[in-house]
Amino acid sequence: MNCELAHERIVTAAYGELPDEQLHELERHMTACPDCHSDREQLLAMKILANALPVVEPPANLVARSRLRLEEALDALPPKRWYERLTQRTMNNFASLQAAPVAACLLLVVGAGAGILGGYEYAQSRAAHAAALAHDVNRPHPIDQPAAEITNISSIVRQPNSEMVEVRYNQVVPQQMEGSLDDPKIRELLMLASENSASAGVRDDSVGLLAAECRAGHSCQAAGIRDALMVVLRYDKNAGVRLKALDGLEPYVAADTRVRDAVLEALLNDTDPRIRTKAVDILEPVEADTSVRQVLHTVANSDQNPHIRTVSREVLSRVPEIQ
Amino acid sequence: MASTTTMDGGKSAQERMQARAPEMELIREAQAGSRAAFDALVRQYEHQVLRLALHLTGSEHDAEDIYQEAFLKAYRYIGNFRFECSFYTWIYRIVTNLCLDQLRRRKTRREDRAVVLDHSGDEIDVLASVSDDRSFSNPAKELDRKVLGARIQAALGKLTPRERMVFELKHYQGLRLRTIGEMLSTTEETAKNTLFRATKKLRLQLAELR
Repeated sequence: MNCELAHERIVTAAYGELPDEQLHELERHMTACPDCHSDREQLLAMKILANALPVVEPPANLVARSRLRLEEALDALPPKRWYERLTQRTMNNFASLQAAPVAACLLLVVGAGAGILGGYEYAQSRAAHAAALAHDVNRPHPIDQPAAEITNISSIVRQPNSEMVEVRYNQVVPQQMEGSLDDPKIRELLMLASENSASAGVRDDSVGLLAAECRAGHSCQAAGIRDALMVVLRYDKNAGVRLKALDGLEPYVAADTRVRDAVLEALLNDTDPRIRTKAVDILEPVEADTSVRQVLHTVANSDQNPHIRTVSREVLSRVPEIQ
Repeated sequence: MASTTTMDGGKSAQERMQARAPEMELIREAQAGSRAAFDALVRQYEHQVLRLALHLTGSEHDAEDIYQEAFLKAYRYIGNFRFECSFYTWIYRIVTNLCLDQLRRRKTRREDRAVVLDHSGDEIDVLASVSDDRSFSNPAKELDRKVLGARIQAALGKLTPRERMVFELKHYQGLRLRTIGEMLSTTEETAKNTLFRATKKLRLQLAELR
Protein backbone atom coordinates (compact mmCIF):
# COMPACT_ATOMS: atom_id res chain seq x y z
CA MET A 1 0.00 0.00 0.00
CA ASN A 2 1.36 3.45 -0.89
CA CYS A 3 0.93 6.52 1.27
CA GLU A 4 -1.50 8.24 -1.12
CA LEU A 5 -3.89 5.30 -0.87
CA ALA A 6 -3.28 5.09 2.88
CA HIS A 7 -4.32 8.76 3.33
CA GLU A 8 -7.64 8.06 1.65
CA ARG A 9 -8.23 4.90 3.66
CA ILE A 10 -7.40 6.67 6.90
CA VAL A 11 -10.39 8.94 6.29
CA THR A 12 -12.66 6.04 5.39
CA ALA A 13 -11.55 4.08 8.45
CA ALA A 14 -12.01 7.07 10.77
CA TYR A 15 -15.65 7.17 9.72
CA GLY A 16 -16.19 3.44 10.08
CA GLU A 17 -16.56 2.74 6.38
CA LEU A 18 -13.42 0.73 5.63
CA PRO A 19 -13.90 -3.02 5.03
CA ASP A 20 -12.16 -5.10 7.67
CA GLU A 21 -9.56 -6.68 5.41
CA GLN A 22 -8.43 -3.23 4.19
CA LEU A 23 -8.37 -1.99 7.76
CA HIS A 24 -5.93 -4.69 8.71
CA GLU A 25 -3.71 -3.77 5.76
CA LEU A 26 -3.86 -0.10 6.73
CA GLU A 27 -2.88 -0.82 10.32
CA ARG A 28 0.17 -2.72 9.10
CA HIS A 29 1.16 0.19 6.84
CA MET A 30 0.81 2.76 9.63
CA THR A 31 2.98 0.70 11.93
CA ALA A 32 5.78 1.11 9.41
CA CYS A 33 5.01 4.67 8.22
CA PRO A 34 5.28 7.49 10.77
CA ASP A 35 3.92 10.07 8.26
CA CYS A 36 0.69 8.16 7.79
CA HIS A 37 0.45 7.54 11.52
CA SER A 38 0.75 11.28 12.06
CA ASP A 39 -1.84 11.89 9.32
CA ARG A 40 -4.33 9.76 11.21
CA GLU A 41 -3.62 11.60 14.46
CA GLN A 42 -4.30 14.90 12.67
CA LEU A 43 -7.55 13.58 11.27
CA LEU A 44 -8.72 12.39 14.67
CA ALA A 45 -7.85 15.78 16.12
CA MET A 46 -9.84 17.47 13.36
CA LYS A 47 -12.84 15.26 14.18
CA ILE A 48 -12.63 16.26 17.83
CA LEU A 49 -12.45 19.93 16.89
CA ALA A 50 -15.37 19.61 14.49
CA ASN A 51 -17.40 18.04 17.31
CA ALA A 52 -17.01 21.29 19.23
CA LEU A 53 -19.80 22.59 16.97
CA PRO A 54 -22.58 20.25 18.10
CA VAL A 55 -25.80 19.45 16.30
CA VAL A 56 -28.58 20.87 18.44
CA GLU A 57 -32.20 19.86 18.64
CA PRO A 58 -34.39 22.48 17.01
CA PRO A 59 -36.09 24.66 19.63
CA ALA A 60 -39.75 23.90 20.26
CA ASN A 61 -40.70 27.39 19.06
CA LEU A 62 -39.01 26.78 15.73
CA VAL A 63 -40.77 23.45 15.28
CA ALA A 64 -44.15 24.93 16.17
CA ARG A 65 -43.64 27.97 13.95
CA SER A 66 -42.53 25.86 11.00
CA ARG A 67 -45.41 23.47 11.40
CA LEU A 68 -47.96 26.27 11.59
CA ARG A 69 -46.56 27.94 8.50
CA LEU A 70 -46.63 24.66 6.59
CA GLU A 71 -50.22 23.98 7.61
CA GLU A 72 -51.27 27.42 6.43
CA ALA A 73 -49.55 26.87 3.09
CA LEU A 74 -51.15 23.44 2.66
CA ASP A 75 -54.58 24.82 3.58
CA ALA A 76 -54.14 27.49 0.95
CA LEU A 77 -53.46 24.96 -1.80
CA PRO A 78 -56.50 24.27 -3.97
CA PRO A 79 -57.80 20.69 -3.69
CA LYS A 80 -56.91 18.37 -6.54
CA ARG A 81 -59.64 18.04 -9.15
CA TRP A 82 -60.99 14.63 -10.00
CA TYR A 83 -59.16 14.56 -13.35
CA GLU A 84 -55.87 15.47 -11.65
CA ARG A 85 -56.32 12.57 -9.22
CA LEU A 86 -57.25 10.27 -12.09
CA THR A 87 -54.20 11.37 -14.10
CA GLN A 88 -51.96 10.82 -11.08
CA ARG A 89 -53.37 7.34 -10.53
CA THR A 90 -52.91 6.49 -14.20
CA MET A 91 -49.33 7.78 -14.15
CA ASN A 92 -48.62 5.73 -11.01
CA ASN A 93 -49.94 2.59 -12.68
CA PHE A 94 -48.03 3.36 -15.87
CA ALA A 95 -44.86 3.94 -13.89
CA SER A 96 -45.29 0.56 -12.19
CA LEU A 97 -45.55 -1.06 -15.59
CA GLN A 98 -42.49 0.83 -16.80
CA ALA A 99 -40.48 -0.72 -14.03
CA ALA A 100 -41.21 -4.22 -15.42
CA PRO A 101 -41.04 -4.01 -19.21
CA VAL A 102 -41.12 -7.74 -19.82
CA ALA A 103 -44.07 -8.16 -17.48
CA ALA A 104 -45.74 -5.18 -19.18
CA CYS A 105 -45.33 -6.78 -22.63
CA LEU A 106 -46.68 -10.08 -21.38
CA LEU A 107 -49.58 -8.29 -19.77
CA LEU A 108 -50.32 -6.57 -23.05
CA VAL A 109 -50.25 -9.81 -25.00
CA VAL A 110 -52.34 -11.65 -22.42
CA GLY A 111 -54.75 -8.73 -22.17
CA ALA A 112 -55.17 -8.50 -25.93
CA GLY A 113 -55.70 -12.26 -26.16
CA ALA A 114 -58.21 -12.23 -23.34
CA GLY A 115 -60.00 -9.31 -24.94
CA ILE A 116 -60.32 -11.07 -28.30
CA LEU A 117 -61.46 -14.31 -26.69
CA GLY A 118 -63.83 -12.47 -24.41
CA GLY A 119 -65.31 -10.55 -27.30
CA TYR A 120 -65.87 -13.76 -29.26
CA GLU A 121 -67.48 -15.47 -26.27
CA TYR A 122 -69.65 -12.45 -25.62
CA ALA A 123 -70.84 -12.31 -29.20
CA GLN A 124 -71.66 -16.03 -29.10
CA SER A 125 -73.58 -15.68 -25.84
CA ARG A 126 -75.49 -12.68 -27.15
CA ALA A 127 -76.53 -14.69 -30.18
CA ALA A 128 -77.64 -17.60 -27.99
CA HIS A 129 -79.47 -15.25 -25.68
CA ALA A 130 -81.30 -13.60 -28.52
CA ALA A 131 -82.30 -17.01 -29.85
CA ALA A 132 -83.54 -18.09 -26.43
CA LEU A 133 -85.48 -14.87 -26.05
CA ALA A 134 -87.22 -15.46 -29.28
CA HIS A 135 -88.42 -18.91 -28.09
CA ASP A 136 -88.95 -18.31 -24.40
CA VAL A 137 -89.88 -14.72 -23.74
CA ASN A 138 -91.91 -15.14 -20.56
CA ARG A 139 -89.84 -17.72 -18.71
CA PRO A 140 -87.63 -16.24 -16.04
CA HIS A 141 -83.90 -16.96 -16.18
CA PRO A 142 -82.68 -17.69 -12.70
CA ILE A 143 -79.10 -16.97 -11.74
CA ASP A 144 -77.41 -20.32 -11.48
CA GLN A 145 -74.04 -19.56 -9.97
CA PRO A 146 -74.22 -20.93 -6.45
CA ALA A 147 -70.47 -20.98 -5.92
CA ALA A 148 -69.69 -17.46 -7.18
CA GLU A 149 -70.31 -14.33 -5.16
CA ILE A 150 -71.84 -11.38 -6.97
CA THR A 151 -69.83 -8.29 -6.02
CA ASN A 152 -71.73 -5.58 -7.89
CA ILE A 153 -74.23 -4.81 -10.60
CA SER A 154 -72.65 -2.81 -13.40
CA SER A 155 -75.71 -1.98 -15.51
CA ILE A 156 -79.43 -2.54 -15.89
CA VAL A 157 -81.06 -2.06 -19.28
CA ARG A 158 -84.73 -2.52 -19.95
CA GLN A 159 -85.58 -3.40 -23.48
CA PRO A 160 -88.00 -0.93 -24.97
CA ASN A 161 -91.68 -1.88 -25.03
CA SER A 162 -90.89 -5.09 -23.26
CA GLU A 163 -90.89 -6.75 -19.88
CA MET A 164 -87.36 -7.97 -20.55
CA VAL A 165 -84.50 -6.55 -18.53
CA GLU A 166 -80.81 -7.10 -19.11
CA VAL A 167 -78.70 -7.05 -15.95
CA ARG A 168 -74.93 -7.06 -16.07
CA TYR A 169 -73.08 -8.07 -12.93
CA ASN A 170 -69.55 -8.88 -11.74
CA GLN A 171 -68.60 -11.93 -9.76
CA VAL A 172 -65.78 -13.02 -7.51
CA VAL A 173 -65.26 -16.73 -7.84
CA PRO A 174 -63.55 -18.19 -4.75
CA GLN A 175 -60.76 -20.48 -5.72
CA GLN A 176 -58.66 -22.96 -3.87
CA MET A 177 -55.29 -24.45 -4.53
CA GLU A 178 -53.36 -27.15 -2.80
CA GLY A 179 -49.72 -27.91 -3.39
CA SER A 180 -46.23 -28.23 -2.01
CA LEU A 181 -44.33 -25.30 -0.51
CA ASP A 182 -41.80 -25.82 -3.31
CA ASP A 183 -44.51 -25.18 -5.92
CA PRO A 184 -43.81 -21.76 -7.50
CA LYS A 185 -47.53 -21.00 -7.72
CA ILE A 186 -48.05 -21.72 -4.02
CA ARG A 187 -45.07 -19.51 -3.20
CA GLU A 188 -46.45 -16.74 -5.38
CA LEU A 189 -49.78 -16.88 -3.56
CA LEU A 190 -48.02 -16.85 -0.18
CA MET A 191 -46.00 -13.78 -1.21
CA LEU A 192 -49.20 -12.03 -2.35
CA ALA A 193 -50.81 -12.89 0.97
CA SER A 194 -47.84 -11.44 2.86
CA GLU A 195 -48.30 -8.07 1.15
CA ASN A 196 -51.95 -7.72 0.33
CA SER A 197 -54.09 -9.54 2.82
CA ALA A 198 -56.29 -7.39 5.00
CA SER A 199 -56.24 -10.07 7.68
CA ALA A 200 -53.26 -10.05 10.02
CA GLY A 201 -53.83 -13.76 10.63
CA VAL A 202 -53.45 -14.61 6.93
CA ARG A 203 -50.33 -12.42 6.65
CA ASP A 204 -48.94 -14.05 9.78
CA ASP A 205 -49.51 -17.54 8.36
CA SER A 206 -48.01 -16.70 4.96
CA VAL A 207 -44.94 -14.95 6.38
CA GLY A 208 -44.44 -17.82 8.85
CA LEU A 209 -44.39 -20.35 6.01
CA LEU A 210 -42.09 -18.24 3.83
CA ALA A 211 -39.72 -17.61 6.75
CA ALA A 212 -39.61 -21.34 7.52
CA GLU A 213 -38.64 -22.02 3.89
CA CYS A 214 -35.77 -19.56 4.16
CA ARG A 215 -34.56 -20.95 7.48
CA ALA A 216 -34.67 -24.48 6.03
CA GLY A 217 -32.37 -23.32 3.24
CA HIS A 218 -34.87 -23.91 0.45
CA SER A 219 -34.52 -21.73 -2.59
CA CYS A 220 -35.34 -18.38 -1.10
CA GLN A 221 -33.96 -15.72 -3.44
CA ALA A 222 -34.78 -16.79 -6.97
CA ALA A 223 -38.48 -16.77 -6.13
CA GLY A 224 -38.21 -13.32 -4.50
CA ILE A 225 -39.09 -14.60 -1.04
CA ARG A 226 -36.19 -12.78 0.58
CA ASP A 227 -37.33 -9.50 -0.96
CA ALA A 228 -40.91 -10.15 0.20
CA LEU A 229 -39.69 -10.76 3.76
CA MET A 230 -37.69 -7.51 3.69
CA VAL A 231 -40.79 -5.57 2.59
CA VAL A 232 -42.77 -7.18 5.42
CA LEU A 233 -40.03 -6.33 7.93
CA ARG A 234 -40.04 -2.69 6.82
CA TYR A 235 -43.73 -2.06 6.41
CA ASP A 236 -46.09 -4.59 7.98
CA LYS A 237 -48.18 -3.00 10.71
CA ASN A 238 -48.30 -6.11 12.85
CA ALA A 239 -45.24 -6.61 15.06
CA GLY A 240 -45.72 -10.39 15.23
CA VAL A 241 -45.63 -10.62 11.44
CA ARG A 242 -42.52 -8.43 11.26
CA LEU A 243 -40.85 -10.66 13.87
CA LYS A 244 -41.47 -13.74 11.74
CA ALA A 245 -40.02 -12.00 8.71
CA LEU A 246 -36.92 -11.11 10.72
CA ASP A 247 -36.65 -14.73 11.79
CA GLY A 248 -36.72 -15.86 8.15
CA LEU A 249 -33.99 -13.38 7.14
CA GLU A 250 -31.57 -14.46 9.87
CA PRO A 251 -29.64 -17.02 7.76
CA TYR A 252 -28.79 -14.33 5.17
CA VAL A 253 -27.52 -11.52 7.37
CA ALA A 254 -23.91 -12.53 6.92
CA ALA A 255 -23.94 -13.07 3.15
CA ASP A 256 -26.48 -10.55 1.85
CA THR A 257 -25.77 -6.86 2.52
CA ARG A 258 -29.33 -5.89 1.55
CA VAL A 259 -30.69 -8.15 4.28
CA ARG A 260 -28.15 -6.71 6.69
CA ASP A 261 -29.27 -3.17 5.80
CA ALA A 262 -32.92 -4.08 6.33
CA VAL A 263 -32.10 -5.54 9.76
CA LEU A 264 -30.06 -2.45 10.67
CA GLU A 265 -33.02 -0.26 9.68
CA ALA A 266 -35.29 -2.35 11.88
CA LEU A 267 -32.83 -1.98 14.76
CA LEU A 268 -32.86 1.78 14.38
CA ASN A 269 -36.50 2.43 13.51
CA ASP A 270 -38.82 -0.38 14.59
CA THR A 271 -41.19 0.63 17.34
CA ASP A 272 -41.39 -2.85 18.88
CA PRO A 273 -38.58 -3.63 21.35
CA ARG A 274 -38.83 -7.39 20.67
CA ILE A 275 -37.86 -6.77 17.07
CA ARG A 276 -34.98 -4.46 17.97
CA THR A 277 -33.73 -7.02 20.51
CA LYS A 278 -33.94 -9.82 17.96
CA ALA A 279 -32.12 -7.62 15.44
CA VAL A 280 -29.20 -7.14 17.86
CA ASP A 281 -29.05 -10.91 18.38
CA ILE A 282 -28.95 -11.80 14.70
CA LEU A 283 -26.40 -9.07 13.92
CA GLU A 284 -23.98 -10.52 16.46
CA PRO A 285 -22.26 -12.87 13.93
CA VAL A 286 -21.45 -9.84 11.76
CA GLU A 287 -20.51 -7.55 14.65
CA ALA A 288 -17.13 -6.99 13.01
CA ASP A 289 -18.82 -5.15 10.13
CA THR A 290 -18.08 -1.46 10.63
CA SER A 291 -21.59 -0.42 9.54
CA VAL A 292 -23.07 -2.76 12.12
CA ARG A 293 -20.80 -1.41 14.82
CA GLN A 294 -21.78 2.14 13.92
CA VAL A 295 -25.45 1.37 14.30
CA LEU A 296 -24.84 -0.54 17.53
CA HIS A 297 -23.02 2.52 18.89
CA THR A 298 -26.00 4.70 18.05
CA VAL A 299 -28.45 2.24 19.60
CA ALA A 300 -26.25 1.78 22.69
CA ASN A 301 -26.43 5.54 23.27
CA SER A 302 -29.89 6.49 22.19
CA ASP A 303 -32.38 3.61 22.22
CA GLN A 304 -35.25 4.36 24.55
CA ASN A 305 -35.29 0.79 25.89
CA PRO A 306 -32.60 0.27 28.58
CA HIS A 307 -32.36 -3.47 27.94
CA ILE A 308 -31.60 -2.89 24.26
CA ARG A 309 -28.96 -0.28 25.13
CA THR A 310 -27.34 -2.77 27.51
CA VAL A 311 -27.40 -5.64 25.02
CA SER A 312 -25.89 -3.40 22.31
CA ARG A 313 -23.08 -2.34 24.61
CA GLU A 314 -22.37 -5.97 25.50
CA VAL A 315 -22.11 -6.93 21.85
CA LEU A 316 -19.79 -3.98 21.17
CA SER A 317 -17.61 -4.82 24.16
CA ARG A 318 -16.86 -8.22 22.63
CA VAL A 319 -15.27 -6.52 19.61
CA PRO A 320 -11.81 -5.01 20.18
CA GLU A 321 -11.76 -1.23 19.75
CA ILE A 322 -10.54 -0.08 16.33
CA GLN A 323 -7.23 1.78 16.66
CA MET B 1 -69.90 18.97 25.10
CA ALA B 2 -70.30 17.68 21.61
CA SER B 3 -67.51 19.92 20.36
CA THR B 4 -65.21 18.91 23.24
CA THR B 5 -65.84 15.25 22.53
CA THR B 6 -65.24 15.81 18.84
CA MET B 7 -62.01 17.70 19.51
CA ASP B 8 -60.80 15.06 21.96
CA GLY B 9 -61.77 12.26 19.57
CA GLY B 10 -60.04 13.95 16.64
CA LYS B 11 -56.82 14.63 18.55
CA SER B 12 -56.54 11.07 19.89
CA ALA B 13 -57.32 9.65 16.42
CA GLN B 14 -54.35 11.53 14.98
CA GLU B 15 -52.08 10.39 17.79
CA ARG B 16 -53.24 6.82 17.24
CA MET B 17 -52.55 7.18 13.51
CA GLN B 18 -49.05 8.42 14.22
CA ALA B 19 -48.32 5.69 16.76
CA ARG B 20 -49.62 2.67 14.88
CA ALA B 21 -50.05 3.34 11.17
CA PRO B 22 -47.04 1.93 9.39
CA GLU B 23 -45.25 4.23 7.04
CA MET B 24 -46.27 2.41 3.87
CA GLU B 25 -49.92 2.79 4.72
CA LEU B 26 -49.44 6.47 5.53
CA ILE B 27 -47.67 7.06 2.25
CA ARG B 28 -50.39 5.31 0.26
CA GLU B 29 -53.06 7.30 2.04
CA ALA B 30 -51.18 10.54 1.47
CA GLN B 31 -50.85 9.62 -2.21
CA ALA B 32 -54.60 9.11 -2.29
CA GLY B 33 -55.03 12.65 -0.95
CA SER B 34 -55.27 12.20 2.81
CA ARG B 35 -54.02 15.34 4.49
CA ALA B 36 -54.03 13.66 7.92
CA ALA B 37 -51.71 10.94 6.60
CA PHE B 38 -49.34 13.53 5.13
CA ASP B 39 -49.36 15.47 8.42
CA ALA B 40 -48.42 12.25 10.25
CA LEU B 41 -45.49 11.77 7.84
CA VAL B 42 -44.36 15.36 8.43
CA ARG B 43 -44.32 14.77 12.19
CA GLN B 44 -42.15 11.69 11.74
CA TYR B 45 -39.44 13.62 9.92
CA GLU B 46 -39.73 17.28 10.87
CA HIS B 47 -37.18 17.19 13.71
CA GLN B 48 -34.55 15.54 11.54
CA VAL B 49 -35.18 17.99 8.71
CA LEU B 50 -34.92 21.02 10.98
CA ARG B 51 -31.88 19.65 12.78
CA LEU B 52 -30.02 19.23 9.51
CA ALA B 53 -31.12 22.57 8.03
CA LEU B 54 -30.33 24.47 11.25
CA HIS B 55 -26.86 23.03 11.62
CA LEU B 56 -26.04 23.62 7.96
CA THR B 57 -27.38 27.14 7.61
CA GLY B 58 -26.86 28.42 11.14
CA SER B 59 -30.09 30.37 10.83
CA GLU B 60 -33.53 29.55 12.21
CA HIS B 61 -35.09 31.63 9.46
CA ASP B 62 -33.29 29.73 6.70
CA ALA B 63 -34.01 26.41 8.40
CA GLU B 64 -37.69 27.29 8.51
CA ASP B 65 -37.65 28.18 4.80
CA ILE B 66 -35.99 24.89 3.92
CA TYR B 67 -38.53 23.01 6.06
CA GLN B 68 -41.38 24.78 4.27
CA GLU B 69 -40.05 24.18 0.77
CA ALA B 70 -39.10 20.58 1.47
CA PHE B 71 -42.48 19.50 2.80
CA LEU B 72 -44.43 21.46 0.21
CA LYS B 73 -42.41 19.69 -2.49
CA ALA B 74 -43.01 16.39 -0.77
CA TYR B 75 -46.74 17.10 -0.71
CA ARG B 76 -46.76 18.07 -4.37
CA TYR B 77 -44.73 15.09 -5.58
CA ILE B 78 -45.65 12.33 -3.17
CA GLY B 79 -47.62 10.75 -5.97
CA ASN B 80 -44.31 10.08 -7.72
CA PHE B 81 -42.88 8.08 -4.82
CA ARG B 82 -42.54 4.48 -6.02
CA PHE B 83 -41.22 2.70 -2.89
CA GLU B 84 -37.96 2.00 -4.74
CA CYS B 85 -36.12 3.51 -1.78
CA SER B 86 -37.20 4.29 1.76
CA PHE B 87 -39.29 7.38 2.32
CA TYR B 88 -36.53 8.61 4.63
CA THR B 89 -34.06 8.62 1.72
CA TRP B 90 -36.61 10.28 -0.55
CA ILE B 91 -37.42 13.14 1.81
CA TYR B 92 -33.76 13.63 2.68
CA ARG B 93 -32.96 13.84 -1.02
CA ILE B 94 -35.36 16.78 -1.29
CA VAL B 95 -33.92 18.44 1.82
CA THR B 96 -30.27 18.00 0.79
CA ASN B 97 -30.96 19.51 -2.63
CA LEU B 98 -32.60 22.51 -1.02
CA CYS B 99 -29.72 22.85 1.42
CA LEU B 100 -27.24 22.65 -1.47
CA ASP B 101 -29.11 25.44 -3.27
CA GLN B 102 -28.97 27.50 -0.10
CA LEU B 103 -25.23 26.91 0.29
CA ARG B 104 -24.63 27.83 -3.35
CA ARG B 105 -26.60 31.04 -2.96
CA ARG B 106 -24.52 31.89 0.06
CA LYS B 107 -21.31 31.24 -1.79
CA THR B 108 -22.46 33.63 -4.48
CA ARG B 109 -23.42 36.27 -1.93
CA ARG B 110 -20.36 35.42 0.24
CA GLU B 111 -22.44 35.05 3.40
CA ASP B 112 -20.39 32.95 5.76
CA ARG B 113 -22.18 32.83 9.08
CA ALA B 114 -19.97 32.21 12.01
CA VAL B 115 -22.87 32.13 14.48
CA VAL B 116 -26.41 30.75 14.63
CA LEU B 117 -29.20 33.28 14.30
CA ASP B 118 -32.76 32.94 15.60
CA HIS B 119 -35.85 34.09 13.70
CA SER B 120 -35.47 37.69 14.82
CA GLY B 121 -31.81 37.75 13.83
CA ASP B 122 -30.38 37.51 17.36
CA GLU B 123 -27.37 35.31 18.02
CA ILE B 124 -27.83 31.92 19.63
CA ASP B 125 -24.93 30.39 21.49
CA VAL B 126 -24.91 26.88 20.04
CA LEU B 127 -22.07 25.84 22.30
CA ALA B 128 -24.15 26.69 25.37
CA SER B 129 -25.95 23.42 24.75
CA VAL B 130 -22.68 21.51 25.16
CA SER B 131 -22.68 20.27 28.75
CA ASP B 132 -19.97 21.46 31.05
CA ASP B 133 -19.02 18.84 33.62
CA ARG B 134 -17.33 21.24 35.96
CA SER B 135 -19.26 22.44 38.95
CA PHE B 136 -18.47 26.10 38.31
CA SER B 137 -18.57 28.20 35.12
CA ASN B 138 -15.54 29.85 33.61
CA PRO B 139 -16.25 32.91 31.48
CA ALA B 140 -12.85 32.71 29.81
CA LYS B 141 -13.50 29.14 28.76
CA GLU B 142 -16.96 30.13 27.49
CA LEU B 143 -15.37 32.77 25.31
CA ASP B 144 -12.80 30.26 24.06
CA ARG B 145 -15.59 27.89 23.08
CA LYS B 146 -17.46 30.61 21.24
CA VAL B 147 -14.36 31.60 19.36
CA LEU B 148 -13.64 27.95 18.56
CA GLY B 149 -17.17 27.47 17.31
CA ALA B 150 -16.88 30.53 15.10
CA ARG B 151 -13.58 29.28 13.67
CA ILE B 152 -15.08 25.90 12.90
CA GLN B 153 -18.06 27.50 11.18
CA ALA B 154 -15.69 29.65 9.16
CA ALA B 155 -13.61 26.61 8.17
CA LEU B 156 -16.76 24.77 7.11
CA GLY B 157 -17.77 27.82 5.11
CA LYS B 158 -14.62 27.45 3.01
CA LEU B 159 -15.72 24.05 1.69
CA THR B 160 -17.63 23.82 -1.56
CA PRO B 161 -21.39 23.31 -1.06
CA ARG B 162 -21.12 19.64 -2.02
CA GLU B 163 -18.15 19.04 0.31
CA ARG B 164 -19.97 20.83 3.10
CA MET B 165 -23.06 18.70 2.49
CA VAL B 166 -21.20 15.38 2.45
CA PHE B 167 -19.22 16.32 5.58
CA GLU B 168 -22.40 17.38 7.35
CA LEU B 169 -24.24 14.19 6.47
CA LYS B 170 -21.30 11.95 7.37
CA HIS B 171 -19.71 13.63 10.36
CA TYR B 172 -22.65 15.33 12.02
CA GLN B 173 -25.64 13.26 10.92
CA GLY B 174 -23.81 9.90 10.96
CA LEU B 175 -25.18 8.59 7.67
CA ARG B 176 -23.38 5.92 5.66
CA LEU B 177 -21.62 6.87 2.46
CA ARG B 178 -23.90 4.65 0.42
CA THR B 179 -26.95 6.47 1.79
CA ILE B 180 -25.29 9.84 1.21
CA GLY B 181 -24.61 8.84 -2.40
CA GLU B 182 -28.29 7.93 -2.88
CA MET B 183 -29.42 11.21 -1.37
CA LEU B 184 -27.12 13.26 -3.56
CA SER B 185 -27.93 11.13 -6.63
CA THR B 186 -24.37 9.99 -6.99
CA THR B 187 -22.28 6.94 -6.18
CA GLU B 188 -20.80 5.85 -2.88
CA GLU B 189 -17.31 6.21 -4.39
CA THR B 190 -17.94 9.84 -5.35
CA ALA B 191 -19.30 10.60 -1.89
CA LYS B 192 -16.18 9.01 -0.41
CA ASN B 193 -13.87 11.14 -2.58
CA THR B 194 -15.82 14.26 -1.66
CA LEU B 195 -15.46 13.42 2.04
CA PHE B 196 -11.74 12.94 1.54
CA ARG B 197 -11.37 16.39 -0.04
CA ALA B 198 -13.51 18.00 2.67
CA THR B 199 -11.48 16.50 5.54
CA LYS B 200 -8.23 17.46 3.83
CA LYS B 201 -9.34 21.09 3.57
CA LEU B 202 -10.65 21.16 7.13
CA ARG B 203 -7.44 19.74 8.52
CA LEU B 204 -5.52 22.56 6.91
CA GLN B 205 -7.99 25.17 8.13
CA LEU B 206 -8.12 23.87 11.69
CA ALA B 207 -4.45 22.92 12.03
CA GLU B 208 -3.52 26.13 13.82
CA LEU B 209 -6.22 25.53 16.45
CA ARG B 210 -4.62 22.31 17.69
